[in-house]
Amino acid sequence: MKLNVDGLLVYFPYDYIYPEQFSYMLELKRALDAKGHCLLEMPSGTGKTTTLLSLIVAYMKAHPLELTKLVYCSRTVPEIEKVMEELRKLMNYYEKEMGMEQNILGLALSSRKNLCIHPSVSKEREGKVVDGRCYSLTASFVRARHAADDAIPICDFYEGFDAHGKEFPLPPGVYNLDDLKEYGQLKGWCPYFLARYTITHANIVVYSYHYLLDPKIAEVVSKEITKTSVVVFDEAHNIDNVCIDSMSVKITKRLLDKCSNSIQILETTISNMKESDSKRLEKEYKRLVEGLRDANIARETDMALVNPVLPSEILEEAVPGTIRTAEHFVAFLKRVVEYIKTRLRVQHVVQESPAGFLRDIHTKVCIDRKPLRFTAERLASLIRTLEISDLTDFSPLVTVSHFATLVSTYTKGFTIIIEPFEDRAPTVSNPILYFSCLDSSIAIKPVFNRFQTVVITSGTLSPLDMYPKILDFHPVIMTSFTMTLARPCILPMIVSKGNDQVAMSSRYETREDTAVIRNYGNLLVEIAAAVPDGIVCFFTSYLYLETIVSSWYDQGIIDQLQRHKLLFIETQDAAETSLALINYIKACDNGRGAVLLSVARGKVSEGIDFDHHLGRAVLMFGIPYVYTQSRILRARLEYLRDQFQIRENDFLTFDAMRHAAQCLGRCMRGKTDYGIMVLADKRFSRADKRSKLPKWIQEHLKDTNCNLSTEECVQTCKRWLRQMAQPFSREDQLGISLLTLEQLQSEEMQKKIQQRAQGV
Amino acid sequence: MADEDEGNEYRWESGYEKTWEAIKEDDDGLLESNVADLVARAKRKRAALKATGATQLGMMRHLFVVVDASACMFLQDLKPTRFLCVLKLLEGFVHEFFDLNPISQLGILTTKMKRSEQVTVLAGNQKKHIEALQQLKDLSCEGEPSLQNSLERAMNGLKNMPVHSSREILVLFGSLTTCDPGDIQKTIKSLKDNNIRVSIIGLAAEVRICREIAKRTGGTYNVLIDDHHLKELILNQVQPPAVAGSMEASLVKMGFPGGTPSLNGGTSDSSADHAPAYCLCHIESETSSLMGHNGYNCPQCGSRYCELPVECKQCGLTLVSAPHLARSYHHLFPIKPFIERAQVPEATHCFACAKPFVEAEANVYECETCNQIVCLDCDLFIRETLHTCPGCASDPVKAQMKTN
Repeated sequence: MKLNVDGLLVYFPYDYIYPEQFSYMLELKRALDAKGHCLLEMPSGTGKTTTLLSLIVAYMKAHPLELTKLVYCSRTVPEIEKVMEELRKLMNYYEKEMGMEQNILGLALSSRKNLCIHPSVSKEREGKVVDGRCYSLTASFVRARHAADDAIPICDFYEGFDAHGKEFPLPPGVYNLDDLKEYGQLKGWCPYFLARYTITHANIVVYSYHYLLDPKIAEVVSKEITKTSVVVFDEAHNIDNVCIDSMSVKITKRLLDKCSNSIQILETTISNMKESDSKRLEKEYKRLVEGLRDANIARETDMALVNPVLPSEILEEAVPGTIRTAEHFVAFLKRVVEYIKTRLRVQHVVQESPAGFLRDIHTKVCIDRKPLRFTAERLASLIRTLEISDLTDFSPLVTVSHFATLVSTYTKGFTIIIEPFEDRAPTVSNPILYFSCLDSSIAIKPVFNRFQTVVITSGTLSPLDMYPKILDFHPVIMTSFTMTLARPCILPMIVSKGNDQVAMSSRYETREDTAVIRNYGNLLVEIAAAVPDGIVCFFTSYLYLETIVSSWYDQGIIDQLQRHKLLFIETQDAAETSLALINYIKACDNGRGAVLLSVARGKVSEGIDFDHHLGRAVLMFGIPYVYTQSRILRARLEYLRDQFQIRENDFLTFDAMRHAAQCLGRCMRGKTDYGIMVLADKRFSRADKRSKLPKWIQEHLKDTNCNLSTEECVQTCKRWLRQMAQPFSREDQLGISLLTLEQLQSEEMQKKIQQRAQGV
Repeated sequence: MADEDEGNEYRWESGYEKTWEAIKEDDDGLLESNVADLVARAKRKRAALKATGATQLGMMRHLFVVVDASACMFLQDLKPTRFLCVLKLLEGFVHEFFDLNPISQLGILTTKMKRSEQVTVLAGNQKKHIEALQQLKDLSCEGEPSLQNSLERAMNGLKNMPVHSSREILVLFGSLTTCDPGDIQKTIKSLKDNNIRVSIIGLAAEVRICREIAKRTGGTYNVLIDDHHLKELILNQVQPPAVAGSMEASLVKMGFPGGTPSLNGGTSDSSADHAPAYCLCHIESETSSLMGHNGYNCPQCGSRYCELPVECKQCGLTLVSAPHLARSYHHLFPIKPFIERAQVPEATHCFACAKPFVEAEANVYECETCNQIVCLDCDLFIRETLHTCPGCASDPVKAQMKTN
């Protein structure tokens, strides 16, 4: 249908629209008009993606000069594919309505692993191996060598792309990963490089967060995206962690040992080359004197090694003399690695600032800050010069070089922690150096500065006011939308005590208490007896899950549980977990019913949807606080307190509640879906926790359901499930939670929508 | 149980209702019209469900009723227990079923301990079924049910039934889990291939596999809210369903045994017909006794039965009486729903019950054919019980002309 959103003609590819989708469009348009950033929370399953796409495409069509490009960042490949499907639907609708081909090009970009069509390389399973092999076939020196000697293999698809692909741009349309591959096969062009090249002139680009947030990749992939773009981060509730991870480095003893090996390889290659072809090394030396500015030209395929910092600071200058010659640089690297090795030889935990580290490295091994800053770039240059085509072995050394560059570039917002052993196994020596980013705004700052509008959206962003603080930006719009429902299809409940009135809590003091564990077990057994099909349970950590399951086993609770449903457990092993998931789904489909025990913050809690019968109930055993004894976390908390005036407790609660909300949201995947959400911890009923749940959950959390015992909870479930099982058709939704065009335009509904928009 | 005087669940068991929110004042600040309106609407809604057109109906039904007898049937959310409540309601169902579907057959299965057991075989004798149901009350409920086993067993009983009959399974399913030996999807597929319709009534919550079975075999799936609703759901199954897909229409051979022998002066009036004989339906039971002159003789083989309708044990002929067929007739030609219209001053009283219309009743109902006006209660009575319009019946000539 065609909508009028505040004076903008929006083509919406469905016949019906949810009222909150319309409100979402209104808010989004305001943000686009203001050319500012915005933060929007809308429950999952209410069609966020299609709403975003249809409004932004309409805006691009209406104001082609002000808004030229949409960059849509999603988390996983399946999510990217989903976005592409929605986009295709929208474009088909445009074509049908306007009666002509649309001049809009949308494409998805993913790693080489997902896009490669080379007959043998594409068979590789691991991303790093694919990257490495691709590099060994397409690097500029390999191609140069091939020109001289036909025996040296190159990738025909890349050659095809290089010869013709740049002259003939991709015709307008929507290309998902498979379409790109197909097109690549047809033309004989490499789809990966084609996609990367096309990004610069495509109207809509869908890719992963990392292409924009991780400075190592962002500079190569996304540097030419214009300022007049809108950037959307979907499912962005964890965006601060993504930012932090992209800037953090972890160095273990084993990694350093591998580094030493790689350095040896470097040394031998250099000495070999000196004998055979010393000219090349000289040439490199000269180039380094001139500076690195033109180093990247015509080297798009050499991206496997890139600089982790934002380069404007570095590329302006020439590489310092101490590391210009290859031998000196290798000796320098050796020193750095040996220095870190000695640092790892500690008996107690060390925490220091980057400045302290720099001072120490200067006094102990006489390494200045400046050469350290150029380590990453210098290493990349050396590897290019040496024409080493197999890069997979060098990744440890690359990690160390990133660390060296980062530690000397940023003095604020980072910390170095060296732990001689893990907390769980204090007797086993396993030294690790963490170079940890504390400030999530560092990685995302260039994104906010560069693009006119950045949209951060997810199903669970509450409490909204935390994100502007930790990401350090000023949104023009910050709104949380609720879900209008024709029937109360979520039932959140806080269960605070067992039938014996013993309070349930995962608090540290009561965690080992058998009464609490037994009460948790009884709750699960009774819910399993009352709820059909699938039940998903979340625990606060793997450790807690294991202790609980073993004591349930002793208490006979597992036996009782298996009378009602089959039991599956998530483990840290990804393969094991996916096998468990497959069988879980099978058990639910067959009507046997199943319980999945998993962990908040685990794989299950983030990426997997349990829609309809797969998740009729979600149980949250305890509040999923992050492991507070972790030094990295404590350093971050301290930093947040000092820099952003966020109290430690506030941040911890915020983090716990967003993960809890994320887990609870797993069971609700649309308006025809329904699910029970049980929060089994006394502390959830406190106002500071409750008020941090997303608005759409809070709305249904009645006061009467905030302090239930196991039995009361089961009673409520039973009654509610019977109501939900009654026939429910689209007609029941129409006019309330689902609107036709006429209904949307009716005065009454417009008034309601206005009210909703203002009320938040 | 479902008795009226026992009432609904206790107040403290039910949820917190905001009854006052449903009530709104009218323009004069009065509530009365509003309440009457609510009541009337609820009644009409129920009646409207049944007004279906004349489609081909599966009149000759073969139905297996599967009763869940697993551990969860001992729960007391239906009083006294789920199992007893279901059995009691089933007795009523069996009675109604044979009343409305005289030429049909019924069988009963139970499922517990992952197995399925046959209680009665497909037969047209309601007494036997009701007796079996009463005996079931002492059965102990234990273990898990198996949907697949019960469906397979019912399917084996049904698949050899003639093609013109409607094959159905009704499952009363209390459990939320099913423990099956194999892939239930295959069972669903063969049910579908055999044209068997599976309807399921859930006693606790919506189970995905039940919904899928019902959807794919063309049956219905409902979950009860309380025991009244359960009764309604069970009784809904009494109505013969519309024919699914490709059931061919065919002629069925039936026998019409004469009425009371003394009045029967027809051709089959031989002395053998009236000689005292054992009733064939009771011949196996110990209480069988010699029948006198009463009873019905099969016109084909002459065996005698105490009751109709029945399938002849000797020659397999379906024996019915004409009133039975006539009773099935209204399923095929339901009367057209009456038109709801505002009260008119000309009509002062209901045509059917002669009660004068009062102010509070805003709407009256008019028959399309004979243009007589009746009140709401009569409208419902006509639709649910009488199945014929008194206006048309009292003036058949006019009605005939109109319908033609």
